[in-house]
Amino acid sequence: MWCLALPIAPNALERPLAMKKILIVEDHMDIRKLLRMTLEFDDFEIHEAATGDAGWALARELCPDIVLLDVMMPGTLNGLDVCRRIKSDPGMLHTKVIMLTARVQAVDKEAGMAAGADDYLMKPFSTLQVLETIYRMESAL
Amino acid sequence: MSGAFAPNLERPADDGERCFDEAASAQMERFVRDFGRMYRERNEALREVTRAHHAALLQLSAAADLKDDDTGVHIVRIGYLAEALAMALGQTTGYARMLRKAAPMHDIGKIGTPDNVLKKPGPLNPEERQIMNCHAAMGAEILGRAQIPVFRMAAEVALTHHERYDGKGYPHGLVGDAIPLAGRITAVVDFFDALTMDRVYRPAFSVEVALEMLAAERGRAFDPVVVDAFLARAEEINALRCKITQECPSFDALIDSP
Repeated sequence: MWCLALPIAPNALERPLAMKKILIVEDHMDIRKLLRMTLEFDDFEIHEAATGDAGWALARELCPDIVLLDVMMPGTLNGLDVCRRIKSDPGMLHTKVIMLTARVQAVDKEAGMAAGADDYLMKPFSTLQVLETIYRMESAL
Repeated sequence: MSGAFAPNLERPADDGERCFDEAASAQMERFVRDFGRMYRERNEALREVTRAHHAALLQLSAAADLKDDDTGVHIVRIGYLAEALAMALGQTTGYARMLRKAAPMHDIGKIGTPDNVLKKPGPLNPEERQIMNCHAAMGAEILGRAQIPVFRMAAEVALTHHERYDGKGYPHGLVGDAIPLAGRITAVVDFFDALTMDRVYRPAFSVEVALEMLAAERGRAFDPVVVDAFLARAEEINALRCKITQECPSFDALIDSP
């Protein structure tokens, strides 16, 4: 009867349950802003960090439900390092990590998965894919 | 690179962070904002369409229920009791709510069952039994055409609420956990609610007798885990049954309440 291309949020037709906490770790200011604006289509609690080091510090403080994590970032920790740390932190067992990568080689996907990432998105990111991926993670929480 | 046709899309921000050219960035933000507005309007429209569709299907379910000599409040009770039982089974609030909205439509297929079969006072002959049993698949057919999760669940319930845990049910003779949980829950609350209701051919059974009859079907018609959860909270569930009968919540309340 209905066939919809745009993703349907699990809570789109229901009253929202608890608002999910999302952390964006990305060194490009405008990409970060576009990601935030995309997430604002829905009701999420959104936090941002501009480096791997700041991202890791914020992750420990917030224990977010979902982390959108860039791979290549300046500073001592890159995205893969942060991912490994999150995945081995007992306080963040529930945290889902989505890697954001500009590189398209299978090697990078494998590196991300080896670091424990739950999913990954290619840049330039698709607004719909970001939402779809998050909804998928959300329903697994 | 330089020149009007190859603009540098990046500029350093004041704090040295990477960012896009200001005009390009502003334009992208406009696009995203407009897209977000369309996305939200789409969701709003979808909510409205779903509501209207749901209300119409509940009316049709009530019509089928009236044909079957019920008062209509039976289907509303099924919704609330199924929700309570799903919660008792440790399902998520989201699942339980969805079941409350989906389960009342389980007998919608009876709209297509001829009155001479549906209202026959005595036992059905094999041919009539077969016609009667078609209501499960017919219901799933009516409900299952939409992509919306609540109607998917409703179709699943309609199709499987006469399956039996021991595999002797219909239409597919599914066994045990092969029967979707929503169907296993609805089968139990439907059984209990039907027993504790006055029918043209018999008065209502007492709650005690109905619970004994339910316990007797543990592991036979019904999932033992679902029966145990029901029996463990029988008092609470029965109080809810009485409350719904008394208050008779509207379909709007059934759809809208959190």
